[in-house]
Amino acid sequence: MVDLGSALLLLTCFAIVAQRRLSACVDLFALQSVFLALTAALVAFLTGIHHIYIAAALTIVIKAVIIPRILKQVIERLNVKRELQMNVNVPTGLLICGALVILAFFITQPIIPLGFLLTRDSLAIALAIILIGFFTMIARKKAVTQVIGFLVMENGLFLGAAAAAYGMPLIVELGVFFDVLVGALIIGIYSHRLQDAFDSVDTSKLTTLKE
Amino acid sequence: MWQAIILVVAQTAVLLAVSPFIVGLIRKVKARLQLRRGASVLQPYADLAKLFRKQPVVSTTTSWIFTATPYILFASTLAAGLLMPVFVSRTPLAFAGNIIALVYLLALGTFFLMLAGLDAGSAFGGMGSSREAIVASLTEPAMILSIFAIALTKGSTNLSTIVHKTALLEGIVTDPSPYLMALAALSIVAIAETGRVPVDNPATHLELTMIHEAMILEYSGRYLALVEWAAGLKLLVFLTLIANVFAPWGIATSLEPTALGVGLATYLVKVSGLAVLIGVTESMFAKLRLFRVTDLLGVAFILALLGLVFFYVLRG
Repeated sequence: MVDLGSALLLLTCFAIVAQRRLSACVDLFALQSVFLALTAALVAFLTGIHHIYIAAALTIVIKAVIIPRILKQVIERLNVKRELQMNVNVPTGLLICGALVILAFFITQPIIPLGFLLTRDSLAIALAIILIGFFTMIARKKAVTQVIGFLVMENGLFLGAAAAAYGMPLIVELGVFFDVLVGALIIGIYSHRLQDAFDSVDTSKLTTLKE
Repeated sequence: MWQAIILVVAQTAVLLAVSPFIVGLIRKVKARLQLRRGASVLQPYADLAKLFRKQPVVSTTTSWIFTATPYILFASTLAAGLLMPVFVSRTPLAFAGNIIALVYLLALGTFFLMLAGLDAGSAFGGMGSSREAIVASLTEPAMILSIFAIALTKGSTNLSTIVHKTALLEGIVTDPSPYLMALAALSIVAIAETGRVPVDNPATHLELTMIHEAMILEYSGRYLALVEWAAGLKLLVFLTLIANVFAPWGIATSLEPTALGVGLATYLVKVSGLAVLIGVTESMFAKLRLFRVTDLLGVAFILALLGLVFFYVLRG
């Protein structure tokens, strides 16, 4: 059942890669965080380790409610709706993500039989989600989508921690959550600055010389 | 032996009778969601009856392909429907073909329809055929991969075996991830192959937005009736495939009359439920631009590939 939750997480990852509309990307990220919280709660229920419940609740509050709201406000104010130009187009991006998933499975194959936790198969999926989040940051140009890629990476890390070690110590989890929240706020401010300076949130403009 | 013949005739009758109803049900659901009353659910039957009575008009510049295609399309789609368990899990014609045969029978019909669209030499027909070629060539790998994912999990490509095993809960899988991916991929493929929003709008009257309708633009009379009926049959085949491969519980696993009755009733309920779901999905989304359809079908392909990968990895 934990594998089912992880598979749903991977499905939302692919949906984010295939999406061009920014508000849809943010909604899919919120959905992914909800799935992640449910998976974590399931792990907590099956193993009886209670601090994972707190981490799951924090995931829902911060990543499914607060951060999507911040990102949606950024999208509204900057009036960016779509990703028009991408470094890698959608079908190629999807194929690369498929290859990344297979790569992740290949890498974790030797490690998985050595594990003895019930969530060990989710480690492969967690690594795949991290790689896909990283790929999203590379493949997209708009700052908002790059933030979403970063947050997807963090989701994958959380799943990996839950899979490999039944969750990190609570103090580490709290630290990570607040880091992510502050990071999203900073990216919001940064997008405004980018818009003011270049009249667009296309980050490739940062590399052009002043005209 | 007589039992088998009666079952096959009954299955043919059920498929032919239910497909216009499904088309009518989808139209009714869409109409209701648009706050209209909509035509009656039985309207497609009246349309078919009217078309069969009318005299067809055939362009003089067409070849034998144009007049032969409606029959080929209808026969191949019906044959594909007969290979599938509908209300009995051990369908009598299961020896004749497995799931790969089903996919390629449907592809045979699509191929001839594309040729017929080109045959009349009109611009819209050619445009419809080329668009249909894009969609069909992209849905084929997705469909085949998701079918392989299912067949590998069940250990056979024979549809009867797959459905019978799932219905009896033999070899129950503790991990439904390959099924989930295969179901997602097959749903997208079903919408693309049957020409529903968001891939193609079946109710459009603007030729520039047509895919399936543009290919059949030249048909009239009984040819049009056969083509429309075949399109409804194809939709029913896909809905039956999804309903009976992924959730076949309720299907008749024996030949007792009560089991058959229950099987038929659950089949009608399941297929109607899927039709309502399609109607709701059509109302939720706008039709995609043609070159965005390739993105959607790319997603379907990757999902099917993932289903296959999940099967291999999670098995051991």
